[in-house]
Amino acid sequence: MASSRAVPFSLRLAIFCASLGVFILLWEVASIATGNSLILVGPVSVLKAMVGLFQNHIPQGALGLQSADAAILQTLATIVFGFGLACIVGIPVGIVTGRWKAAEAIFDPWLNATYSIPIVVLIPMLYFAVGADFFAEVFVTFLLTVFTIIVNTQNGVKYVSNALAEVGKSFGASESQYIAKIILPASLPDIVSGMRIGMGRAILGAILAEVLMSGTGLGGMMMTFQALLNTPYMMAVVLLIALIGVGVLQLPKFLERRLFRWKETESISREMRR
Amino acid sequence: MSASRLRYVALSGTLVAFVVIWWGIALAVNNPREIVGPVETGTAFIQLFTDPPLTWLLAGALQVTVTSILLGFSLAAVVGVPLGLLMGRYLIVDLFFDPWVNIWYSIPAIAFVPLTMNWTGVSSTSSIAIAFLIAVFTIMINVYGGVKNISGSLVESARAYGASQTQVMTKIIFPASLPNIMVGLRLGISRAIEGVIIAEMVFSVVGIGGLMDSAADNLQLALSGALIVVLAIISLAFAEITKYATRRAVVWKESQALIRE
Repeated sequence: MASSRAVPFSLRLAIFCASLGVFILLWEVASIATGNSLILVGPVSVLKAMVGLFQNHIPQGALGLQSADAAILQTLATIVFGFGLACIVGIPVGIVTGRWKAAEAIFDPWLNATYSIPIVVLIPMLYFAVGADFFAEVFVTFLLTVFTIIVNTQNGVKYVSNALAEVGKSFGASESQYIAKIILPASLPDIVSGMRIGMGRAILGAILAEVLMSGTGLGGMMMTFQALLNTPYMMAVVLLIALIGVGVLQLPKFLERRLFRWKETESISREMRR
Repeated sequence: MSASRLRYVALSGTLVAFVVIWWGIALAVNNPREIVGPVETGTAFIQLFTDPPLTWLLAGALQVTVTSILLGFSLAAVVGVPLGLLMGRYLIVDLFFDPWVNIWYSIPAIAFVPLTMNWTGVSSTSSIAIAFLIAVFTIMINVYGGVKNISGSLVESARAYGASQTQVMTKIIFPASLPNIMVGLRLGISRAIEGVIIAEMVFSVVGIGGLMDSAADNLQLALSGALIVVLAIISLAFAEITKYATRRAVVWKESQALIRE
């Protein structure tokens, strides 16, 4: 960490811009060299398609498709609702299971199972149980997100330093004071980093639900253009999804670094759990 | 001894509770077109292994899925571990790759699916590509974090005693970051499994994911449920194997991430 801190931000930015330039150049060259617009389209035509998408130039064969902004709004709404629900459910459950052994014993096998078994396998079944409307998409998003948030919150609460806990106990903190004044602030960085990782899962869940269940939103749009073999438009939608992913995930990370300088938790410095 | 017994009790209790809840919901809904109960699923599961045409179908799909997972994961490990080590060790590699790793890592897996469909068609090659693309960045990020967390005094004393760059790499950095490499590999394989299943469900013609999706499309929900059980068993098996490998590889250091499971 120390070595990377020493590099000034402006230099990092300059190197990033340079590597971005190299990447775009390589992409364009590769697309010209391939010479097959089905396999690889260059950044220029993707950008053109993106502009077309926002001006509602819907390509042939894709009539009846949502407009780009409607699709983006729908996808974002699914992400926000699914993620919000997962936080509302996941954080309290994580605190309870992190605080009380009995609750942990009950929940741990479930959490372990969801840790090893990908929840995405349930989607084809859920289609029949909950349908393919907005609610179903939110539900899939919720399901993919909630366990990540529970596990991270639980970890944060469990590993609150003993020194803090003992001071609280010996000064006679009540249970609610103990949770509100000691456990919550001390585990906040872990909860936040759990929420950030959960956000990545929420994006995946929302797009996946759109691709596999409803066929609307950005995910549906992407697959429609794929089916039409309209690669520039498809790439434009893929780029939009990528931009949402990068924006939503990298921005909070930046804030997290600024806000929680006082505690570089392992999950921040180490950058991962599922 | 008693701790492991408690674990078994909790585990079997959970399993029973799961089946009971599932059964209860299935009975309450009472519509085989919406939710299929544990009995029908169990019957379908047994049928998968006793009904010859189904068994052949399953064997073929199983082979495709497991090979895709293994190939995608191995490729990701072969590429991701060395790149992660280099990124952690050399600042210039770090500065050049770090933003890209973060950017690619932030893209949801499903966005790669239509691209690979264009490149290699609806085939297991595509699912291998997706497993690779998802797993490789997880592995890189974990290896990189491991190298960066190595205490500088280890590297400095090695340099002071005249170790060459390769010696530093093989004798200090690799062993010291092994716990993180193993964590990365474990997360990598679970992501590879997820990637292959996502790809197969979208393609809906190859592998177990495809079989499951088309069974659901044909309203054979019991069969679809039985295939979910098969996928769950595969995932659990992979998780157990990697857990075992991790314990063997880093007996000397139980990092917190390993203990916590």
